[in-house]
Amino acid sequence: MHIRDGILAPEVCLVAGAISLGAITYSLRRLRFDLEDRAVPLTGMMAAIVFAGQMVNFPLFGLPVSGHLLGGVLAAVMLGPWAGCLAISMVLIVQAVLFSDGGLMSLGANILNMAVVGAWGGYAVYATIRRMLGNGAAATVSAAVIAAWLSVLGAAALFCAEFLCSSRSAGVDPRGVLSLMVLYHSLIGVGEALITGAVLSFVLARRADLVPTPNAPGSVGTIGRFAVTGLMAALAVAAIVAPFKSESPDGLDAAAQNLKFDKLEVERPPLVLDDYAIPVPEPVWWPALPVSLAGIVGTLVVFIAAVVLAGITRRNVVPIRVADGSHGN
Amino acid sequence: MGTSGIGSDAGSQSICHALPAGMKLLLTLGIILVAGLIPLEHWPAQGLLLALVFVGLSVAGVTMRYLVRRLALFLPLLLVFGLSVPMARSNDAAWSWTLSLWLRCTVSFMAGLWLVHVLPFRDLLTTLRYWHFPPALIAMLGFMYRYTFILWDELRRLRNARAARDFGGGPWWRVWSINSQVIGLLLLRAMERAERTHRAMLARGWDGSIRFLDGKD
Amino acid sequence: MAHSDQPAMELRRLSFRYPNGRLALEEITCAVPQGDRVAIVGPSGAGKSTLLMHLNGLLPSPSLSKDEEAQVVIEGQAVTRSRLQQIRRQVGFLFQDPDDQLFCPTVQEDVAFGPLNLGLNRAEVLVRVERGLAAVGMADCLTRNPSELSTGERKRVCLAGILACDPSILVLDEPTSNLDPRARRQLLHILREFAGTLIVATHDLDFVIDLCSRVLVLESGKVQADGPTERVLSDPLIMDRHGLEVPWRLRR
Repeated sequence: MHIRDGILAPEVCLVAGAISLGAITYSLRRLRFDLEDRAVPLTGMMAAIVFAGQMVNFPLFGLPVSGHLLGGVLAAVMLGPWAGCLAISMVLIVQAVLFSDGGLMSLGANILNMAVVGAWGGYAVYATIRRMLGNGAAATVSAAVIAAWLSVLGAAALFCAEFLCSSRSAGVDPRGVLSLMVLYHSLIGVGEALITGAVLSFVLARRADLVPTPNAPGSVGTIGRFAVTGLMAALAVAAIVAPFKSESPDGLDAAAQNLKFDKLEVERPPLVLDDYAIPVPEPVWWPALPVSLAGIVGTLVVFIAAVVLAGITRRNVVPIRVADGSHGN
Repeated sequence: MGTSGIGSDAGSQSICHALPAGMKLLLTLGIILVAGLIPLEHWPAQGLLLALVFVGLSVAGVTMRYLVRRLALFLPLLLVFGLSVPMARSNDAAWSWTLSLWLRCTVSFMAGLWLVHVLPFRDLLTTLRYWHFPPALIAMLGFMYRYTFILWDELRRLRNARAARDFGGGPWWRVWSINSQVIGLLLLRAMERAERTHRAMLARGWDGSIRFLDGKD
Repeated sequence: MAHSDQPAMELRRLSFRYPNGRLALEEITCAVPQGDRVAIVGPSGAGKSTLLMHLNGLLPSPSLSKDEEAQVVIEGQAVTRSRLQQIRRQVGFLFQDPDDQLFCPTVQEDVAFGPLNLGLNRAEVLVRVERGLAAVGMADCLTRNPSELSTGERKRVCLAGILACDPSILVLDEPTSNLDPRARRQLLHILREFAGTLIVATHDLDFVIDLCSRVLVLESGKVQADGPTERVLSDPLIMDRHGLEVPWRLRR
């Protein structure tokens, strides 16, 4: 999920970094009005929660790797989009600088894909769906499940765009990378949706008062939310479609590629192993089939999860118990 | 992800550790940037950079074991990622792109490891402060740093308690459900703690404005 | 501003109901003279912490809005919203869990937090930090991460952070919970050095005998008994009725 240094071109990193810096600054400004003097403890704590929560490994259906929570939508649902975006940004900063998890130069791109799309975009989707479904606990969980899934697919689409911008000049066929990433992200997206839904369902059953209603003042306007929701849905579709896109490079792409190929033929570096010509079969099915399958299965799983988790939540939630702060009395 | 980086304040001291924190950050960024800009034709330069980073790592006292362990987690993913381009269409451009990607990603990753090893968290905060990052963000980062340790401990206790009752294992959905509950419980407790901490801050005169000891703002 | 003839703390029919409807405190009236050391004891859930938090205006209460309706008076001043900053300077609050209180990455920053909020300049703050840490015997821990300290040490750093604000009243919530005997004894010595008023909520009755001269027994949000430490704690009738036990040292 974290983009490593070297994958994106420096100029792409620069642009993404500038956008992320703007998003962080804007979030900080909005946060001052939303949470006032609680901003520092609540946001700092949420970052610590997501960071610690990412230590919990989820087995991936028998595969040797495991997944974990990303937390963008969860943080935004608990504290609103501004604090959510900041919390995830801080997690990414700490991971990049102190753990070398995710690149340093591509930190901006990671923040854009996961914190901004995850928390802002995810929250917009969440708020819109919750408005349509009502304010019950079941609606909250369903909305969060779908938002979490869309946020990961949105991040995937954004990564595809960033990667296309970066690899354009190299004149290589990016479909392989795109399908790999989309496949990988559809899996992660389903996981994220399930974890977010299950965690939220657990929280709602015990302290429903901790989950604020999105209609509270200070959140995004309705029109903005619809716009962002549409955008997120479009991004998700784009992610699924991306690998098909350059099936037959046309116009500019083709020209660029031809140019590059020629150039490379001329300047072919002598060191490159001569076995690049090993006859790797070109499986035509490789980009297309798994991606569309992943898209369809993912959509099904997420919608089933939304319904099931909502049902579980509806059964478990006790009528609102207000925080009485009587800890340690 | 290991926990090795975050508490390394009391770690070994070397010439690398003695550099100013801001310079460490800029140096690492510089190496990553250069690695990103060197084209494949100039592979010896990339190799030189790799050697330089490796020397830096040894001078900083990074053990081979740590390096190998981190690379063992990092390289397979990079390998698959790089291969996906020639897999879709195998030609010169694809293979040289892949080779060049492998090289610069490895250099960047190792430069990042160097930074992890020589930059304590507190120095990072001081540097961000010096670079005029928003004070609220720095205060939140400090808060996050402090409570991450506490939540890790809490997480360990929660998981031990769960493991004691459930004997671990089980089908994947059971593990998923238990893990989600662990995270949910962690979240609940941490949010309640945040409320108490907020109260404790108020009791010491907190009014929402951030003041630092080093007198800059 | 504080007149010695005024009580350090006065409660005037203090009542408090949580938003969920539970009545935590019911018409509590009492006064604590300056320099007194008072213990509040009682079973869990009696309302001890709730009472303490009112001394610092930490709970939303309708009585915070008007002077005349004030239910808590600190050194002659009604605790109202407009006066909260001032009141919190006078009343230092030690919370039960030191991890709730120590939120900075280093000991120094944490102890400096209170003085910085008082608006002091850097030099003054540093003096206060040094003095506060010296008072609790932690002067050599400036750059330590609180997570590396023991519970007792963390508790002492919390106390340093409060003493650095120079309060005239110290409010302590379960100060000895989770402390080993040595840390407990150290805390006792530090608190005995403190010249101002002390209000302690605790289950540790031996600690009360060693530190306090007066005891309030709280149960169900009401003061059930109030008197000199030895007399209250050695009365089996009072103690048994309110879920407490006469300490061994006072049994005859």
